[in-house]
Amino acid sequence: MKRAFAAALGVLLLALALYPITATGYGIRFMLQLFMWVALAQSWNLISGLTGYVSFGHVAFFGTGAYATGILVATHGWHWMPASLMGGVAGAILALIIGYPCLRLKGPYFAISMLGLNEVMRVLFSYFEGLTGGGSGLSLPALHASVQIYYATGLAAVAVTATAFLIITSRFGLRLMTIREDEVAAEAMGIDTARYKLYAFLLSAFVPGVVGGLQARDQGYIEPMAVFPLLTTITMIVMALFGGKGTVWGPALGAVTLFVFQELVWARFLYLHQVLFGAIIIVVVLLMPRGILGILQQRFQLPRTI
Amino acid sequence: MQANAILEVRDVTKRFGGVTAVNRCSLALTPGKIYGLIGPNGSGKTTLFNCITGLDPRDAGEIRFKGERIDGLKPHQVARRGIGRTFQIIRVFPELTALENLLVVTGGAFEAARRRAEELLRFVTLDRLQHEYAGNLSYGQQKLLEFIRVLMTDPELILLDEPAAGVNRTLLNELLAAITRLRDQGKTILIVEHDMKVVMGLCETVFVLDYGEKIAEGPPGVIQTDERVIEAYFGR
Repeated sequence: MKRAFAAALGVLLLALALYPITATGYGIRFMLQLFMWVALAQSWNLISGLTGYVSFGHVAFFGTGAYATGILVATHGWHWMPASLMGGVAGAILALIIGYPCLRLKGPYFAISMLGLNEVMRVLFSYFEGLTGGGSGLSLPALHASVQIYYATGLAAVAVTATAFLIITSRFGLRLMTIREDEVAAEAMGIDTARYKLYAFLLSAFVPGVVGGLQARDQGYIEPMAVFPLLTTITMIVMALFGGKGTVWGPALGAVTLFVFQELVWARFLYLHQVLFGAIIIVVVLLMPRGILGILQQRFQLPRTI
Repeated sequence: MQANAILEVRDVTKRFGGVTAVNRCSLALTPGKIYGLIGPNGSGKTTLFNCITGLDPRDAGEIRFKGERIDGLKPHQVARRGIGRTFQIIRVFPELTALENLLVVTGGAFEAARRRAEELLRFVTLDRLQHEYAGNLSYGQQKLLEFIRVLMTDPELILLDEPAAGVNRTLLNELLAAITRLRDQGKTILIVEHDMKVVMGLCETVFVLDYGEKIAEGPPGVIQTDERVIEAYFGR
């Protein structure tokens, strides 16, 4: 079973690596977006799925990464690869600054503080016009690098999934879950919950920063409204919840399922699309809060490697 | 000041708004003994536990463990010094398996922790259920799991908050035997308990709290006849 899964995964990765040889421009673009959603849902899962601290402002790290990368590329002439890594660093630094005070807040208060963070970041990037171009946005020099960005985004998705695997199957990951389960008891068992939460938060902010940077490069143009949309946060949350929060593969499963569904079905019904999306949120939260893999895991006593 | 005390609580006070939950409370525990902490509802027993373990930082007074101040430390720091506790209301990690509930506890290499966890699960005959989510276990099984979780770090001082509540006779006898065995291994144990039979049978010294103040201290037999204690429980 384990070996079959590993083999299937290897074949899948190989196929994805070879895909650009035959792919159309639309195909590349579609897969690139898919990778982005896998990476974002997986990142959100690292803090919110494991510790239960629900981040409603995760797109703040995405947008900050996009701007950090955009400024380095457009103003300082950096290559997009190191620049998007710096986007990740910018996301992590923001997480460090904001996590230290906000991770003391519990439940809905943390969620709301993160929502506020996103609004603040959007306004800040609009305000400092000299650096960011303000509301009229920032244009990056023209570059055709979709295939390279396809690989880079895919690598980000694989890296964050591998990180999730390593964390969730380790004692570190189990300790993060004790924070979700019962933070007081976790402390009484000698777990330094403040430090664990901060580590998880930093990890979960890095990849969105990188992906934001890659998106900035791929789009060639960024502006505050486009890189800090609340809908992006909500989408990554729903994907992670749908597939199974706190599991290794759940967020990836949720991202693939919902994104493919969206492209195939919803795009043909422009207005119904929004209604269906809302309906899925309600169904997931009410009927299957554990998500698909979470339900399977509990019912069949599956190991944490799921 | 007792030179050989493992835990010394001196003049500890804790207020919540206008309520003084613990009022200038002092006690000292000698290593290798079982102590009882009793008192009517709301007399401050659990709050005193929380002061010792750092969950409710004390407002005044001193707490020393093996001679060193521990008041002002965070709960995880207190736990790492060697004080383990259980809770009045069960606080296992429901969506972690029984085995995982034990493995998360700080300290030691993974393999050593795993061996210790399996040994403890066998000790309370929960080994068959080790891969079951803790939330799916029965009340009594969760109680046992919480009890052995405390033992994972091999703490020198163990605080038990109503270990007998809601536990059937058979299980209770096993639990009491386990507590006695721990004492024989040299552990110090402080128990909050309402079941007087348990307290009288197990404890060598009993502290009595009323309105946050310690009103009596002594062997169980003496405490039972103490006028202030009878008054606290039954009124004048």
